[in-house]
Amino acid sequence: MGNKQTTFTEEQLEAYQVTGVTRQLAPHLVPLDYTNNPDIKVPATLIVTMPELKENPFRDRIVETFSEDGQGNMSFTDFVDMFSALCEAAPRELKTIYAFKIYDFNRDSFICKEDLKKTLNKLTKGELTPEEVTLVCDKAVEEADLDGDGKLSFADFENMISKAPDFLR
Amino acid sequence: MSATSECVEGGSRAPPAAKRHKSVRKNSRRIFSAYQDPQHSFSDDGGKEDEGVDSNDPEEMFQNIQFQKEIIANIRTRPWPMKRKLNVLKHAREIVLKYEGQLTRTRGYQTAGADLLKKLYRLLNNIVVIFIPWEVRIKKIESHFGSGVASYFIFLRWLFGINIVLTIMTGAFVVLPELLAGAPFGTTRSKTIPKEHLASAQDLDTIWSLGGYLQYSVLFYGYYGRVRKIGGAGYRLPLAYFLVGMAVFAYSFIILLRKMAKNSRLSLASASDENFTFCWRVFCAWDYLIGNPEAAECKGAAIVNNIREAIVEEQEKKKDTSLAVLISLRILANILVLLSLAGSIYIIYFVVDRSQKLEQEKAELTLWEKNEVSVVVSLITMIAPSAFELVAQLEMYHPRTSLRFQLARVLVLYLGNLYSLIIALLDKVNSMNSAHQGSSANWSDPISLLVSTSQSETHSLSTRMSKISAFEHHNITVATMTTALNVTSNNRGHSGSIYNQTAPFEKNARSQQDQCWETYVGQEMLKLSIIDMIFTVASILLIDFIRGLVVRYLSDCCCWDLESKFPEYGEFKIAENVLHLIYNQGMIWMGAFFSPCLPAFNVLKLIGLMYLRSWAVLTCNVPHQQVFRASRSNNFYLTMLLFMLFLCMLPTIFAIVKYRPSQHCGPFSMLIYYLQAIARSLKFTNNQLRMQLQTERTEDKKKVYQLAAARLQAPEAASETKPDQQESDLTSKEASIHSPSPRRNGSITNFQSPVLRGNSIHTITQSASRTKLTRGNVSGSVRSPVTILPKRRAEHIPNRIRPLTGAPSDTCRSKSCLHMACNSPAHCSHCIHSDPLYRKTLCSLHPVEASAIIAAKSYNERRGHTTRYMIVNEHKPRAKLLRSATRIPCHYLLEEPAEIMKLYPHNMRRYAAHSSHYQPHSYRPHTSQHLIKEGEEGNKNTKKNMLVKARRPQSLSDLRQQAQFYIGDHVESHRTRHRVREDDEKDSGKGETDWRDFDIPSPSQASVRAVDSPFGQSSHHVQSPSRRSPARSRHLGSHLKLNLRANVETPLTESDSASVASSSDQQNSSTDQYIQVIHNKERYLSSDASQEKLANRKSKTKADLNLESNDLICSNV
Repeated sequence: MGNKQTTFTEEQLEAYQVTGVTRQLAPHLVPLDYTNNPDIKVPATLIVTMPELKENPFRDRIVETFSEDGQGNMSFTDFVDMFSALCEAAPRELKTIYAFKIYDFNRDSFICKEDLKKTLNKLTKGELTPEEVTLVCDKAVEEADLDGDGKLSFADFENMISKAPDFLR
Repeated sequence: MSATSECVEGGSRAPPAAKRHKSVRKNSRRIFSAYQDPQHSFSDDGGKEDEGVDSNDPEEMFQNIQFQKEIIANIRTRPWPMKRKLNVLKHAREIVLKYEGQLTRTRGYQTAGADLLKKLYRLLNNIVVIFIPWEVRIKKIESHFGSGVASYFIFLRWLFGINIVLTIMTGAFVVLPELLAGAPFGTTRSKTIPKEHLASAQDLDTIWSLGGYLQYSVLFYGYYGRVRKIGGAGYRLPLAYFLVGMAVFAYSFIILLRKMAKNSRLSLASASDENFTFCWRVFCAWDYLIGNPEAAECKGAAIVNNIREAIVEEQEKKKDTSLAVLISLRILANILVLLSLAGSIYIIYFVVDRSQKLEQEKAELTLWEKNEVSVVVSLITMIAPSAFELVAQLEMYHPRTSLRFQLARVLVLYLGNLYSLIIALLDKVNSMNSAHQGSSANWSDPISLLVSTSQSETHSLSTRMSKISAFEHHNITVATMTTALNVTSNNRGHSGSIYNQTAPFEKNARSQQDQCWETYVGQEMLKLSIIDMIFTVASILLIDFIRGLVVRYLSDCCCWDLESKFPEYGEFKIAENVLHLIYNQGMIWMGAFFSPCLPAFNVLKLIGLMYLRSWAVLTCNVPHQQVFRASRSNNFYLTMLLFMLFLCMLPTIFAIVKYRPSQHCGPFSMLIYYLQAIARSLKFTNNQLRMQLQTERTEDKKKVYQLAAARLQAPEAASETKPDQQESDLTSKEASIHSPSPRRNGSITNFQSPVLRGNSIHTITQSASRTKLTRGNVSGSVRSPVTILPKRRAEHIPNRIRPLTGAPSDTCRSKSCLHMACNSPAHCSHCIHSDPLYRKTLCSLHPVEASAIIAAKSYNERRGHTTRYMIVNEHKPRAKLLRSATRIPCHYLLEEPAEIMKLYPHNMRRYAAHSSHYQPHSYRPHTSQHLIKEGEEGNKNTKKNMLVKARRPQSLSDLRQQAQFYIGDHVESHRTRHRVREDDEKDSGKGETDWRDFDIPSPSQASVRAVDSPFGQSSHHVQSPSRRSPARSRHLGSHLKLNLRANVETPLTESDSASVASSSDQQNSSTDQYIQVIHNKERYLSSDASQEKLANRKSKTKADLNLESNDLICSNV
């Protein structure tokens, strides 16, 4: 923020402090004059190409999760939202919540084996054989599933992720 | 419920554009609410309620406002879309504003002020971000290579910050004051380059090895002045130096622990045993900071590898085969690692040893020889990790485990390197010290004389005159064998020897100046650091950059793919690089005390490393395959760093505590002596009392023995002396081993000894001839002292340092001999009897004297036991001489704790055993309780020391002397004081001159000193008889009278001289020291006085006391 190409009112600046984003973000993507038309949407295809995301295997999911319409087209608030969640200063709980949403491909608020499979395939770019993928999915669910329903609820996920030594985004 | 209501609320407020996606949002909102904990939803409700409440109750209003504020504070943690966040925030702010203004006016102002503050804070934050060094650079690296690589740079930056603080600390409190207010370069000995080195001081070669001008600069410990206060404001540099040295460690500890605590707060729950291997691999594998395609590819491959490995491991869990092979392989690998560790340690030790030898043998060293230590160490630190990696492949551990093993091994290697290096260095320091001691033993004695004589010819002339007169006086009173002629001849010889000595003395002083072991260690550390830097740079350039170039541009014209097959690109090995940083920091910690500018150098080094590394990483490195993940909240590095800090602190502290600071350089050349002096003086008094006690105990025993076994023991004693001699030989061998530089000393001794010895021998022979008759065998062997002497001398010259060690046992026996001699021959007894008196007075009062006497005695003993007679006569006057002598011995006492100290314990123990054996408590009734206690304690201590042979100030008896030494040693005051002293001595002491002839020119101080120890006992023994048994003393009374008079006379002169000396001392040396000494003295005096009273010698007490007090003052001064 505070970058010269966009003009913010003082009020807006004040308000956006909640995001915790204090440094400049992708100036070429942010609409130049936000104050006049606050409802501009940036298409997902554009967002996904920014350097912060372009190598991320989950970039589509991330964009979808944070966009208001679920299609990846982001308004500026969504955009800020995304990076406030991804930035260093964001609290761990917040990250956990969004991580869960990212991994929850079918948005049923559970991570089921299909979600896991998709995750794995994105992560490994399809290098693992189907058997391996199945095995890994089974193992993962087996490990983290506390209530034994065959899929991971948010509680399971949070429990698992909070114990990870290197969960940090 | 809450979710839907919120939804409605949000919808009503949302701009029309948002309405389109209402359904979607509703859906997602439900998910949100499911994640929210009850508190969140509650707060939302509260927010809504507040809207409607226009409560007039101020209390409620206040709570409401608090609530809203909480919302504002926590809104960042809510997983709401931005729009809703903004709305809620706006709403809450409005409420707060509205109602807060209503509450009180001051509150309104408060909020306004708070807003302003917040804005300022934000501004400040933004500014601070600009000033965080390398932030952009690190971000860039982070985006390319992920958080792992970035964590290395963040760690580096953090270390950089620490080093900045350390630099500021040392710079502001030590270096700058020294530069601004300290004595400028070239004013003092420790700040000038020796003439012989001046020519080469600017050579690149010299500068490279940190010699020349660098060696005598603020870079190193040795440059810092010893003056207690510098500048107009009286800045206490030595104190500051010490405090800063400690503060460096303290600050490092504090900052490290604080950081760790902070980090552990961040990663609280991560300490569980539960293992979600697959989940973590799936959900946490991706590094969201990676933005570089290559890195992403690597990462993806790494993740695939990881997952595959996990799968394989899972499968292997079910069927664990070839366990035996695996185990044997791992054992083999561990053996290999251990071997290489041991090898590296041995190599380092060997190299240091070799460099030491080379330094001794060759005058000119080649560049390689000068730097081989640091080069070898750096080479090992570079090569060994790769070797470990190879070995680790043997083990076939899981990558994570193997990484841990690797880290542990490398850490151990680095530590082992540092430790072996520092141990080898300290070893070298040790030998330097002992060598230095040998030389100092040579010249420290003559110093006083030299200074006085060389400084003013006329002065020396006058002193000589006075000396002669004193001699004559002495001779008259004693009315025995020594003639005036003898004395004068002595005198002549003595002065001649002095002149001869001046040259070697200066040389010695010079050579000694070079031996500043702190500077040496500092140099070595700095050198190591520099070489390490060079190697790092070289390795980056060669291994990474050149390799990168080759791989990139030659891969086209090569038959295989260079980029993916053999050479590949260099990997950035995070773990090893971090370890290298830690190692580097450990080096700094280790050397910071000895080289205050080391942190500053490290700052430069880190800056350079930062740029070079980041450049290298960005241009020619790929991330490590098995990515070592380390987030910012990881305490792993810090734990290792803490470990390193602790382990690096140990040797430094050890060196500071254990090794005596160099005498001629550095801020503590005085300070620590001072501390030691206090401690030692206390211990010495204690010890002295104990010894007295014991002598008294044995006294009774002796009496019995004397009567019964006088005749029998004479032959026995003779026979016994032989084994003793053997003992002394043995010890002398030891001594020669210990003292590396016998030659120098030897030369000096050579020219001194003939003249002096000749003289002393003359006197001795006379006495011997008398005692001969009574002693039979003993005297027989000694009969011709001259003939014996050469032999003896041959032994002693090499021994120098502790020819007397063997003596302890001698003294016991000699004591008995003496007694026998006293009893049997009438004419002899006369002399001997008179002796005890003197001795009593002197010894009882003066611990120092005692030792001095001891020295004299032992000296005599060495030549054959005959000389004892002489000693006896001279005791009184010698007291002062002894003082002077003892003052000097202190030098080596200080310098050579290990060897010399031992002597005392030996004696004491033996003696203690002796006394207790024979007569457990003959003396107790006389002494006060605390005395006994002290004595016993002392006994225990000495015994303990004996057993342990610890190197700490074992010798209790040393302490006392130390105090004097300290005072006397002050460089400036040193000379004047000595001069004064000498004058005093000459004036006051009749026997002094004699003694001096003996003592001062004596081949080496060490020998004299060594002699001291055995003497303590003997003198005491001799002394005690008279003191203990009133009957005896009475019986001696007639003889004593003569002597007593002499005694009384001397005290007068002494007191005069003492006052002069004291005044001069006061002026010269700092008052603190002086006071300290006086304290001891007084205490001592009182105790002595009480003892004396107990002894019931009314007739003599007065004179004794007089003497005592005078003596004390003199000695202390």
